[in-house]
Amino acid sequence: MYGGDEVSAIVVDVGSYSCKAGYAGDDTPKAVFSSVVGSIEQTGEADEAKAGTASDSKNGAKPMDVDKAKTKRKLYVGQELEFRRDHMEVISPMKDGTVTDWDIVDNIWNHAFKQRLLINPEEHPMLIAEPSTNTGQQREKAAELMFEKYKVPALFLAKNAVLTSFASGRATSLVVDSGGGSTVVAAVHDGYVLQKSVATSPISGEFLTDCMMKSLESKGVVIRPRYSFKKKEVSPGEYKVMDLDFPNTTESYRLYCMRAIASDIKESVCRVPDTAFDEVAYANVPTTSYELPDGQTIEVGADRFKIPDILFNPSLSQTIPGVDGFADSMSARGLPRMVIDSVNRCDVDIRKELLGSILLSGGSSSILQLKERLEKEVLEESPGNARVKVLASGNSVERRFSVWIGGSILASLGSFQQMWFSKAEYEEHGVSYIQRKCP
Amino acid sequence: MDAKDILGLPKTAFASVQEKKPRPPKEPQRKPDGVSREVYALTGGVGMAPLMPTVEASHLKRRPAVEKEKEKVTWQWIPFISSARTDNLQLYHWARVVNGTPPTGDYHFAKYNTKADVLKYTDEEYEKYLTDPAWSREETDQLFELCERFDLRFIVIADRFPSARSVEDLKSRYYSVTRALLIARARSFDEVAGNPLVKETFNAAHETERKRALSALLSQTKQQEQKDAEILAEAKRIMESRAASKNAEEAEALTSFDNAVVTADGVSPLSHAHPSSTATLPAAAVNSSIPASLRMLRVYLRTQALDQMVQAASASAGLRIIKRVDQTLQDLGVNLKPKVPTKAVCVEHLELRKEILTLLNLQKQLQNKEAEVSANRENSFTEAPSTPKRANRDVDRSFVPDTVGFGGERAGKRDHKRKSTGRFMDAPPSPPQSNKRPRKLKASD
Repeated sequence: MYGGDEVSAIVVDVGSYSCKAGYAGDDTPKAVFSSVVGSIEQTGEADEAKAGTASDSKNGAKPMDVDKAKTKRKLYVGQELEFRRDHMEVISPMKDGTVTDWDIVDNIWNHAFKQRLLINPEEHPMLIAEPSTNTGQQREKAAELMFEKYKVPALFLAKNAVLTSFASGRATSLVVDSGGGSTVVAAVHDGYVLQKSVATSPISGEFLTDCMMKSLESKGVVIRPRYSFKKKEVSPGEYKVMDLDFPNTTESYRLYCMRAIASDIKESVCRVPDTAFDEVAYANVPTTSYELPDGQTIEVGADRFKIPDILFNPSLSQTIPGVDGFADSMSARGLPRMVIDSVNRCDVDIRKELLGSILLSGGSSSILQLKERLEKEVLEESPGNARVKVLASGNSVERRFSVWIGGSILASLGSFQQMWFSKAEYEEHGVSYIQRKCP
Repeated sequence: MDAKDILGLPKTAFASVQEKKPRPPKEPQRKPDGVSREVYALTGGVGMAPLMPTVEASHLKRRPAVEKEKEKVTWQWIPFISSARTDNLQLYHWARVVNGTPPTGDYHFAKYNTKADVLKYTDEEYEKYLTDPAWSREETDQLFELCERFDLRFIVIADRFPSARSVEDLKSRYYSVTRALLIARARSFDEVAGNPLVKETFNAAHETERKRALSALLSQTKQQEQKDAEILAEAKRIMESRAASKNAEEAEALTSFDNAVVTADGVSPLSHAHPSSTATLPAAAVNSSIPASLRMLRVYLRTQALDQMVQAASASAGLRIIKRVDQTLQDLGVNLKPKVPTKAVCVEHLELRKEILTLLNLQKQLQNKEAEVSANRENSFTEAPSTPKRANRDVDRSFVPDTVGFGGERAGKRDHKRKSTGRFMDAPPSPPQSNKRPRKLKASD
């Protein structure tokens, strides 16, 4: 029944942090690049973007021209973002996990198809991963865009949680997806997301990176973005750092670069503590050293454990100076509480099954010890006779791309080929038919 | 080369032995084909069997030519149509093309497109059978549409249902509507009576109750569960202690019973204790296990004890005498086993048995003595005196107050025993004198 039959479908997953695209049937996406884009407002004359004298020059592709009637701007997607350009703002198409700017998404898709995968979208059915909290309106917009602009022969919109569930071979599970932009807890039953059980939280990878950055700044560490200095070798093994000044660099770009560094710090040194974080207890914990790109070495001590514990205890973020509180800080709950609430909103009959298969996915789920801590916390708050099991694939690559991998599996199944929303159906029934076709 | 030598004629083998000698010095100098000189030298130059069949390059070239004669199979990227789709979307996939003809038949996976069987009702059917005060027409329509879309996955349907209705509510509505439709559409009730939808109605109240109980169970906090566990453990302990105390009481009662037995008091406490002890006995119905269990409780059945005592008393007597004792008892009108085996009665019974035994023994001795006497007399007087014999016979007869058959039997047995008195055999047994009272000493009549 689970035979595969490849029709060379394309799977696209645009997340808050990174965008993944590739062929269905593959293990991993071929094209992975950042979802944020750089944009330069054009003031009328054609503005040739000059490649900056950044110390790490990557292979630059030609910038794409986007002619918009209203806001003329050039968008730089993917690797082009690595270049520092004057007046380039970094903007994200997503907010809180849902798409706000379809133009940017359009560009991202275009870049993925034309530059990265080198395909003609008219020949391949498309499987698009959408957030579990996507509204009907968003879906219709996506479908419209796909059919009108890219003229795909067939389309399907699948929810992230369902795809993650399929990637682990289950039809029923509770998916905890903590990615770049937000953390979503959703229950999947028999291949369908139970809408009433979906819970979101703004605490996610980006937020933790911000906390890390602010925390380091408050301790006096200055993170220099990569473009702002140049290393010169004065003698073998010894480097001298020279500051470069680019006054026209936008604040958002600067922040973007700093975030990249802070996120690397976070990924390398952070660990979830085994119990709730306590300032006093962790005051004397041994520090880990980390070398910044400009050569300075910093010592990270209690922050190693404090930052990831924000996932479990959001109020910790308030102790870091400079971090903005959430608008609804009251409702920001820790991860275990979100899991329990989500389970309790489901029907009684399936609660046990859900607790027994909690799946972790998303980039932030690769933080060390997250699985064990979450299991412990949920076990404490759950009824005694329920077996709690948190599952996460051992491979961090699989965790990051589990949504995409689920899409790859789904689109290459033989019995899925009857479920596509084809162009003929789109023309016949209109775009709202997608609500029926893609549950 | 060498194999040929081995398989060859002995003559040549013999000759080869001679050949071998000049050969070895030659071989290291010569480099054979296919094998490096050193390897050949290592193996000693002889006995190198090929380990693997060699693949000749010519074989490799020949193979594709052979294949071409069969049918030509290629894999092509061709479009296909699935019967599971309503439109004519053409997707492409790799298919095995044999001799230029693409595969025919429906798409292989189309058969997995199974759907749940959801009935559709018309307007008039709805008006006639399916109206319900709690459900509007639109809601029922929506419900059925969702049922079809989600293949009767009620949990998902409940999740997507626009108004907040419980799963049991939806299920009961769906099942009642389908049931009514089935019954209405069938010509007779019997047709659909076998259909599980008709046979069993959905019990919404039961389901609700069950779910409520389950949720209560699952939402117990850790403290409550601990308390429950504690209470259960406590209850168990109480039960055990109660059972233990009950056993202790029994044991006490038994010890008091035993004491009563030992002191051999009046009948009444014993008879009172005896049935009570039998009542408190564990229900071991098997006779063989009774003595064992009784011994544990220090209780014994008097009847059994009596039997044992009887056996002990008559152990030295022999089977025949035991039977005689029994016979005597019967003649006296005494039961072999006393009906009411109280202590006094048993004691008396034993006494009686002992006395009978003594009587029989004495009678036997008397008989012996008289036989001796008569034998002595006979030895002195040759004529057969009838009287002493008669007397003897009477003596013999006196304690055999039984039927003729029995007497005959006895006579036979007696004669068997006494060889010296073989002459008594031909004397016809006189009718047994039914003497109720055994005469201890027979005065010769």
